[in-house]
Amino acid sequence: MADGAIDVRLENVSKSFDRVQAVREVSIDIPRGEFFSMLGPSGCGKTTTLRIIAGFERPSQGEVYIRGVRVTAVPPYRRDYSMVFQSFALFPHLTVAENVAFGLRMRRVPGAERRRRAQEALDMVKLEELAQRYPRQLSGGQQQRVALARALVVQPAVLLLDEPLGALDKKLREEMQVELRQLQRRLGTTTVFVTHDQEEALTMSDRIAIMRDGVIEQMGPPREVYERPRTEFVASFLGASNFFDARVIERRGAEAAVDLGFGRGVIAHVDAPGTDLRIAVRPEKIMLAPLGAPGTHDARIREIVYRGVTTHIYLDCAGREVIVFLQNTAPQALAWRIGDAVSFAWEAGNAVVLDRV
Amino acid sequence: MPSSLTGFEPAPLGDFLRRASSYALIATPILFFIVFFLGPLLYLFVVSLLEPSKTELYGTRLTLENYERILVDDFYHRIVTRTLLVGSLVTGTALLIAYPVAMAIARMSPRWRILAMIALMFPLMLSNVVRAYGWIAVLGRQGVVNSVLIGVGAIDTPLAMLYSIETVVIGLMTILLPYMIISIANALTSIDRAYSEAAQSLGANPWRTFIHVTLPLSSPGVAAGMQIVFFLTLSAYVTIALLGGPRFSLLVSLVYRSAMAFQWTQAAALAFVLLTVALCVGTLIVLVLRPGRVQGRG
Repeated sequence: MADGAIDVRLENVSKSFDRVQAVREVSIDIPRGEFFSMLGPSGCGKTTTLRIIAGFERPSQGEVYIRGVRVTAVPPYRRDYSMVFQSFALFPHLTVAENVAFGLRMRRVPGAERRRRAQEALDMVKLEELAQRYPRQLSGGQQQRVALARALVVQPAVLLLDEPLGALDKKLREEMQVELRQLQRRLGTTTVFVTHDQEEALTMSDRIAIMRDGVIEQMGPPREVYERPRTEFVASFLGASNFFDARVIERRGAEAAVDLGFGRGVIAHVDAPGTDLRIAVRPEKIMLAPLGAPGTHDARIREIVYRGVTTHIYLDCAGREVIVFLQNTAPQALAWRIGDAVSFAWEAGNAVVLDRV
Repeated sequence: MPSSLTGFEPAPLGDFLRRASSYALIATPILFFIVFFLGPLLYLFVVSLLEPSKTELYGTRLTLENYERILVDDFYHRIVTRTLLVGSLVTGTALLIAYPVAMAIARMSPRWRILAMIALMFPLMLSNVVRAYGWIAVLGRQGVVNSVLIGVGAIDTPLAMLYSIETVVIGLMTILLPYMIISIANALTSIDRAYSEAAQSLGANPWRTFIHVTLPLSSPGVAAGMQIVFFLTLSAYVTIALLGGPRFSLLVSLVYRSAMAFQWTQAAALAFVLLTVALCVGTLIVLVLRPGRVQGRG
């Protein structure tokens, strides 16, 4: 990709507060139009990284570029971006229309054009009727849209989103996820999104960076990071996983037979016999099978949790816990009882070999 | 209507007791308010409407002449104007000095902020009389300033610094400044950092962020500070008397003088003029600054 098409570039960015290192040598290239998410638990450095792009934090080391311009030492108000804050930060003393027009006013856009563009931005988020209200007279969802309109009206090179859906209830959040993504696709605005909600990140992003202790553990498209997690942290933070220690016994073409301690399994991974591996298998990729079928492991059902769409079954396999998610499509999923003896197995390709840390 | 019949079930005893105890809780302050504030105020208002008496504190006939005299006489006009002038000067200068100080305090770490606030409280622990005499010791004919200036040969005869409007304003301002600073600093501290960051993210430089966001968001503290300082200026009798001298009169001085001269009806009327001035200026401050916009009221 040509260098000019990179809208945000972080080069070896680090940030320390007192003795705590919040961000360690993070490098990211975000191409134009991408919806890029930074995902991780609180304190992982995702918000600090966003604030470094915004210019609210100065990196201790490294460089920040927006649209090819080095902005590391440029104050926030001279950087080409806008931001939606977690608390929305709508100005309480200004009307909705004045809030949306604020960025245009700061850019000294003339009054008539300012009003027209603010109105257009409000139309875009379907709030045209509320222009003369004050923020406190709006619901959480409406405030969220105003914040979005206020950020988009200035046509920024980059849109920064700091957990903008965190303050909304679940139902509204899911609606806004779809709406926000559609809007972003239509406008083609390069977007950096910070969240601790893995589902949100998976739903919305072109690419996700999973962060931990100030380091990007893995970066890639949602499907890749979910299906092929590289570390135990990624595999467990993004969805749930079963982890097993495995030792390679023999190679069979592109697959290998492994000793799991409680039986034999297959993985789609080639390594020399005797190699110790750590593997992860997603609970929804594990199948329950009739007792004693070849290539399966015997277990007993310890707990059943009915979750509507799925049923979570907790197995006891020789003293270790194995979690299985069953879709509630087949009547069989609902037929299991606690204490039943079952067998489970997975397809070789669904066992992911993790990096040894 | 059967539905209303069922709705009329007697409340359980627990409910009754709970409600009764909550009434009892607010009854005490309300009673206190009526007996010690509303009652005397009403009494004073009635006194202000009674004719003066040569032998008693007040007469028995209702009249408006106490107010008429204030409204007609040029002398009173001058006093009211001067009261407004002193009040505005004190409030204005206090605001100009307090705002930057409050901003500095708001930027301190919480620990230093508490220490700064305590330091600001210290002058408030001192009696106004003591402080006024302190100013006399500094600014008087044989005060520190004159002694130094004569000592270094800058002047031959002592400057008359006391007994002027400037001295009264400076004296009052130094007393009342902490109220203004604390009030504004509290307002500034409670402003979410996200507001100024949002302004900056939308292209506002620090100055425009201050003008368009910080200043309006601090308006509750500014309004409260201005009101406190203005009201306290109106009632700062001791400081005005000691620093302004016998011939420098504000409304409060007249109230005091009339009361001491046993002209109770006149004193009461003047007190209500003073109250009206306070209410008008207080309202004006709220109308101009509109702190309600920020405080969640329309």
